[in-house]
Amino acid sequence: MNIIEIRGVTKDYTLGKVKVPALRGIDLDIAKGDLVSVMGPSGSGKTTLLNIIGCIDLPTSGNVKVSGRELTLLSDKEVTNLRLHHLGFIFQTFNLIPVLTSIENVEFPLLLQKRLSRPEIRKRAEKFLDDVGLAGYGHHRPAELSGGQRQRVAIARALVTHPDIVLADEPTANLDSATGASILEIMKEMNAREQTTFVFSTHDKNVLKYAKTVVQIVDGRIAGA
Amino acid sequence: MGLILKMAWRNLFRHRGQSLVIGTILFLGAFLMTLGNGVITGMDRGLRNTVVNGFTGDLILVPERQESDNVFLQMMGRGIQPLYGFPAIDSVLRGIPYVARYLPIGKNMAMVLNEDEGNATPLYLLGVDFARYAKMFPGSLALKDGRFPRPGMPGLLLPTGGRKGIHDRANTWFVPASRDSSIGAVGAGAGAETQRDTVPKDAIVRSSMVMLGFNEDNSTTDIRLDVDGIFRFRSLNTIFGNFALVDIESYRQCLGYFQASERTQGRMSGRDSALFSLGEEDLDAQFGMQSELAPAVSPVRKVRRVRKEKAPPLPDSTVTVESPVMQTPTTRGLAATADLDQGAYNLVLVLLEPGADAAKSMTDLNGRFQDAKIGVRAVGWKDSLGPIGSMATLIKGALFLFVSFLFVVAVIIIINTLTMAALERTPELGMMRAIGARKGFVSLMFLAETGLLSLFFGGLGIVSGAVTVEIVSLFKIASENDVLQLFFGGDTFRPALSAGDFLLGFTQLGLVALAAVLYPLRIARRVSPLDAVYKE
Repeated sequence: MNIIEIRGVTKDYTLGKVKVPALRGIDLDIAKGDLVSVMGPSGSGKTTLLNIIGCIDLPTSGNVKVSGRELTLLSDKEVTNLRLHHLGFIFQTFNLIPVLTSIENVEFPLLLQKRLSRPEIRKRAEKFLDDVGLAGYGHHRPAELSGGQRQRVAIARALVTHPDIVLADEPTANLDSATGASILEIMKEMNAREQTTFVFSTHDKNVLKYAKTVVQIVDGRIAGA
Repeated sequence: MGLILKMAWRNLFRHRGQSLVIGTILFLGAFLMTLGNGVITGMDRGLRNTVVNGFTGDLILVPERQESDNVFLQMMGRGIQPLYGFPAIDSVLRGIPYVARYLPIGKNMAMVLNEDEGNATPLYLLGVDFARYAKMFPGSLALKDGRFPRPGMPGLLLPTGGRKGIHDRANTWFVPASRDSSIGAVGAGAGAETQRDTVPKDAIVRSSMVMLGFNEDNSTTDIRLDVDGIFRFRSLNTIFGNFALVDIESYRQCLGYFQASERTQGRMSGRDSALFSLGEEDLDAQFGMQSELAPAVSPVRKVRRVRKEKAPPLPDSTVTVESPVMQTPTTRGLAATADLDQGAYNLVLVLLEPGADAAKSMTDLNGRFQDAKIGVRAVGWKDSLGPIGSMATLIKGALFLFVSFLFVVAVIIIINTLTMAALERTPELGMMRAIGARKGFVSLMFLAETGLLSLFFGGLGIVSGAVTVEIVSLFKIASENDVLQLFFGGDTFRPALSAGDFLLGFTQLGLVALAAVLYPLRIARRVSPLDAVYKE
């Protein structure tokens, strides 16, 4: 069963009078529970593809279905709800809310969802922080954590809502190799345990061993999968 | 909401510099506004206290046919309609629980004639029974020279402002009749000291005044009165210092009204007596015109010297109307034998009991007079003074505009600061949107941040302003300077704040915060997750 279906997606950016194609007709299906690595050199269109899958950007043409919903037909409110309930994001630069502690950052999407009580939210956030190895860091602010610790908080935040898909844009790019490896291990473990679909972009060939599926993008086209 | 407030509160500390800039602006704006409101409210209260308890009373009963409610400071020459039948009014007022005391008076204008063929000078006249006046407005006058009129005798108290006005126009300087050493000699008083005043150089010094009752419809009778004393109103002499106090019978004679003495001593003709007994409607029928009895009386074109008893010794110092001289008379002269209330008045000043609601009392009084078919109506003291009565409101309006201008500047600075903050926080806002925060969440967060800042710093400004107002009020700063007294609303500076002022302050603060946050909020709401990605 495909959780992501992409058909004929193109994306052009306009720089002044010049139209720059980022994606030139992408067709891609990703099955539920897959762990997909999107590979390619800088400027190949990896981030653009992830942004479109994550409803952060819209394609110039083509169709994208995520969890059965056609993204191009959704309103801003529906897109926000889709991101809140079905998607998780891990950004290259960690992107935690600076004024919240680690535990509060993990709780944040649960509080937005308003599905659980406060004690339940706290309990679940603590569990996920524990899962990423930060049980004792719940009351630390992001500024008080290392890069690897922040990224692990971001992973906990992305997973805490049990999303269908987690999108990670070069999650190890700003980390040393050991920390990066531990982050990928966590993602692999979560994928195995929660059956969460992971799609991460990278240009580091060392991370290929963690992926079940590798999608190669070159110049906005899929070169191989 | 707890999450939003928590984030907003922490964001304020995270961006301390920005918070301090905005907070300082809000603090200063709120502080100045509160201080200004305190001054104006104090002025309003002071003005009310001074005017009501020293000049007009809370309510003024005017003849029903009086066109304008502005009966004290109306355009020069506009006459106030005569008011007959005070005993009937008296019977209505007596026993009303919210009425503390009342005083019938005559109020119109006279021309002070220059006996040296120079310019005549207008002078407002208040025709009063001095003893009643003293009871109605105790302590409101300060005698600068001479003495108070003897009870029941003809008398004239000239205000300092009126004396100056006459001197400016006619080069005549009036002194009390009891000091006659320099009277009549041109320039004789140059540089010379009377008891308290220096006679202006080259001024003609006189101690008796020839006055011609005057209004836009007619001029009436010349009378001559000795000047008993020179006085000033203790407060707001700038405004009221042009009102001379004349005994009511002389006033009536000057204005051509019926005098009580004429009626009680049987000097009124049968026709006049019949006319006097008529109501206003009947008078209209008699004359086929607006009710005004004055023209029916043939003006006596004569200058009448009202002879007086020898003046008693001068007081040693400034005295007030509580002086023994002003106590209830035991003997009267010509007017003393008359029942003064049988003659004409123009107005009745009514002082209400403390705490009485003036608006409700006015409505009730008007109802009572209608029921009793008495042709008078009550007007409020502010209306009776025209623009002066509205002075506090006008100044409050001006201050409001000034503060609004300050706030507009503040709003612009705050908008700029908050917009910069919104742009700086694009990655954070975009990330929040990416993980599922709606635009409403972002809006609430910005509103909460601005709201907390306004509440804290603006509230601090209002509280500081209120404390300052209270402290300044404790000093009871007093002044005899006329301009300052106008600003103070009396002789003492007592700024004060009402509940309405606080409400107004917080409302203004809320509006400022809202106006300041709208544009930055729009910017913040437009931040998309994609902006965050590209910003990175």
